Order: sequence, then C-alpha cells, then structure tokens
Amino acid sequence: MIGAPLLRVALEAGYAGKPVLRDIRFDLQAGEVLGLVGTSGAGKSTLVLSLLGLLPWRGGRVTGEALLEGQNLLALSERRLRELRGRKIALIPQSPMSALNPAISLQSHFNEAWRAHKNDGSGALAARVDALLAEVQLPSSDEFLHKRPGQISVGQAQRVLIALALLHRPALIIADEPTSALDPVTQTQVVGMLKRLSRLHGAALLYVSHDLVTVLQLGDRIAVLDAGMIVENLAVTEIEQARHPATRALLETLPAPPHVLLSFRDRTAFEFQICNLVEEAVHS
Amino acid sequence: MKFNLVAAWLLMGVVLIAAAIVAAPGASYSKQDRLLPLAGATIHHWAGTDALGRDRLVRVAAALLLSLGGALAAAAVTTAAAAGVGTLAAFGPRGLGWIALLICDVFLALPWLFLLMMVRSALPLTTSPANSAAITFLVLAALGWPACARAVYRGAVDLKRSEWMLHARAEGLRDGQLIRYVIPSLVPLLLPQFLICIPAFIVAEANLGALGLGVGEPLPSWGGMLLELDNSALLFQTPWVYLPVILLVIVLLLLEAIPAEA
Repeated sequence: MIGAPLLRVALEAGYAGKPVLRDIRFDLQAGEVLGLVGTSGAGKSTLVLSLLGLLPWRGGRVTGEALLEGQNLLALSERRLRELRGRKIALIPQSPMSALNPAISLQSHFNEAWRAHKNDGSGALAARVDALLAEVQLPSSDEFLHKRPGQISVGQAQRVLIALALLHRPALIIADEPTSALDPVTQTQVVGMLKRLSRLHGAALLYVSHDLVTVLQLGDRIAVLDAGMIVENLAVTEIEQARHPATRALLETLPAPPHVLLSFRDRTAFEFQICNLVEEAVHS
Repeated sequence: MKFNLVAAWLLMGVVLIAAAIVAAPGASYSKQDRLLPLAGATIHHWAGTDALGRDRLVRVAAALLLSLGGALAAAAVTTAAAAGVGTLAAFGPRGLGWIALLICDVFLALPWLFLLMMVRSALPLTTSPANSAAITFLVLAALGWPACARAVYRGAVDLKRSEWMLHARAEGLRDGQLIRYVIPSLVPLLLPQFLICIPAFIVAEANLGALGLGVGEPLPSWGGMLLELDNSALLFQTPWVYLPVILLVIVLLLLEAIPAEA
C-alpha cells in the first residue's frame, strides 16, 4: 500500500461513561515525527494508553480504529496486541524512575524485554544491548548493567528506557512526555537523542508533550489536543498560520516568536546531520 | 549493629540455651519428683518444680521450643496461604479474585474462639498430646491467613497498578514473564507478614492454653504453665512460678523487635 500512512487513528475513549477523547483523528507517516501538544488533562496519556491497547488496565474503554500498517489495533485480541507491543510499537514513558522495576537489575530488564519477542540466545541480546547503550551514551559495562534502577540517575533511567524502546526496532515509538521529569540540561540531551535515534532507525515518533518549545525543535508536524479533540494538525513550519484559540494560547506561552525558535531547530538539525555523518563514518 | 539484628541474635541464644536444657542428660519435662512438689530453687531443680513435682526449668525450655517451633510452622503455612490467595485475588481473573476475598471476609467474620472450642471438644479424649499440639497450631494457621491475605492483596494490587507493571505490559511481556517480574517485589510484602504472625501465634497459643484449649498435658506449653498462676495460694509459695510469664514476655519482645527494620 504505497502512500498509506503507518498509523491512521480515528477513535474515542473514556472512563466509566465519562468521555475523555471525543474525536481523535490523525495520520502518521513512516519515519515521521508528530508532536502532539495539549494542556494537562486534555487526554494525552489516555490517548497513549489507547494506542497501546492498555487503557483497560486503567479502567478505560476505547472505540473506533487505530490502523497500524492497515491492521486495526483496537480490534485485536490481547494475545495479538501483546505480540505487537514492544516489537512494532514501543513506549517511552513519562516518569522513568517509576517505569523500571525497582527490584531487578537493568540487565534483567533487557533480558525480559528481549524474551518477550525473541527466543534466540543471549549472544544476540548482548550485542544488541551493547550497541543500544552506546547509542544512548550509557556505559555497557557489567558493572552498570548489574545496577538496580534506584542506583542510577533519572537521566540515565530515561536513556535506559529509550534503549529498551529501541530494542526490537519498532516502526512506531510513542513518547509520553518523556522529558517532564528531567532537568533542562538532561531534557535537551534526551530530546536531541530522540530526534537523532528516530532518524537513525527510521522509526516514526509520536511525541506527546505539553511543551511546545520541544515539539518545535523535534517535530515534523504538530497536532494540538484540546478538550478531547485534535483541533489543529499542520507542519511545524506552518505553525504561525494556526488559527484555533487553543493553539494561539499555546503560541503565546512561547519565550520567542515561532520563527526564531524554528531557526534554532534548523541549526540543531544541521548539527544532528553532522553527528549522523560522523557516526556513519565511525560505524563503517 | 542494628537493633533488630541484636534481637535476632539474642533470640537465637535463648533458643540454644533452651535446647541445651531440654537435651541435657536426665532432663525430662514429665518426670515427677514426688518428694518435692511446688519446690523453690534446689540443686536438682534450678527453677523449682510445679504442683506435680516436675522440673520447671526443663518444662519452660521445652514449652519455649514447642511454642516457637509450632508458631514458626503455623506462620509459614499462613504466609504461604496468604501469598497464594492474595496474589491470586489481585492478579487472577476478576471473578476468582472476588470469590477469594469473599472467603477471606467470611473467615474474618467467624467467631474463632467459639470455633476453636468446638474443634477441641469434637476431638476424642484419647487424642495424643502431640496431635493436640499439631491441631492447635493448624487451627491457628487456618484462622490467621485471611488477615494476612488481605494485607498481601492490598500490596499486590498496588504492584499491579504500578507504572512499572504497566510499562512491562507496554513492552509486550508474556503473562509468565509478568509473574516472574513481580515476584521480587512480593518478598518484602510477605516477610513482615511472616514475622508478625510468629509472636501473634505464640500469644494465641498461650491464651488458648490458659483456657485449657491448647496443647494437651503432659506436653509443656506456655498456656498450660500460665494456668498455674490461676491458683493464688501458689503465687506466694515461690517467685519461680513467674518464670514462664517473664520468659514469654522476653521472647515476644525479641520477636516484635525483629521485623522493626523490615
């Protein structure tokens, strides 16, 4: 199906008769970065859980469709969904510290995530983990991998989660406010890393956030979620043409006019391209 | 060294001394010295004898071992049952969990003292002392698990709803993997339950024994020895009659101190 989007969403969702998402419609092309912006309580996390088929675990219900490569995720059995989660769709969660199991080592996290979808030996896993940890700039020493989540910093934990998300080379990565728990320096590093890695791996990235500045740095397109509806959906470079009051309100929170911020984006994009070239040269 | 470690070592010492006293040559908890009933400390009976002329020190030591051993076994049974029921209720299918919790509630609502009396009175009079001891602790375990299961259930539900369990699902972990994923976090939930049950069961046995519903004579038990204190004339005979009570309190204090850190 040439030209068909990687992900086509048209859904409604809510909890026990209380609708949260009323009309969510958007497309995501392969390899594209879509920044989904909304205020707190707009339904961002509900949308993330809906796409992963995890909303029932939080007591919610979702109807409609979410076609991933033509396959409706919302109509799949739990068994089929499990096979897709982590392999086709990966999640980078909001609070890195609480998303890692405090009682087991980082190595065990990789082991379990690997065994969820593959049953070949530990050699392949070790090589993959080595490569991924290098990509997220973490040491791949045994000493580091034997640490428990409580013994590493929040920034390191978020990188571990990024590495875990990339483990099975997913076609779609959903990042649910991945930087909200981080300090500004680490935030910038993680955003840069996400941008670089999603390009490197050719994965589409659905970046959910309340932070418009980051989305302007990172996204190809931007969608605005307000009161359970997608009210705006346009290319990041056209952001100044946005008309919806919710988008205008978001734009007014920016520390500088969008075109100024976008010029920085081009600069960082340029830097990333250089990084990529260097990396490719190193790898080959 | 931490306070709870000190308590654990002290308890170990008490148990070893008790074992040495019981195992010493010539020591018997049932042998009667008919010439010396209700004696104070003598060269032959360091802590005197009871109304039947039996050595009090040996009986107290044997009671300590029996009570502690029985309570440990009962606590292990209770914790295992609570772990099974609590985690099943939290992680199993909704209907099954509902039934498990209902059974817990029914057990908690039972008039357990009455039940114990019924069970004991239903036993034939020829029940051997060893069987009566086993039945006593078995009944305690059977009555102890629902409260534990409720506590385990509450903890397990928190684990189930935790962000890291949700993320494990988002990674596509299989059901079997999810169980393995959660077990290390269940241990800190179960250990305190186990440790709290031990002193509770010792006290329960002592109370039952004092009502004559516990371990049968001639087996020594804390409850049986507390019965002695019923007789006020005896209380002034020799201060050694207080030995079982004092030792019971000390052992309970040590047991209560151990889980403080956990």
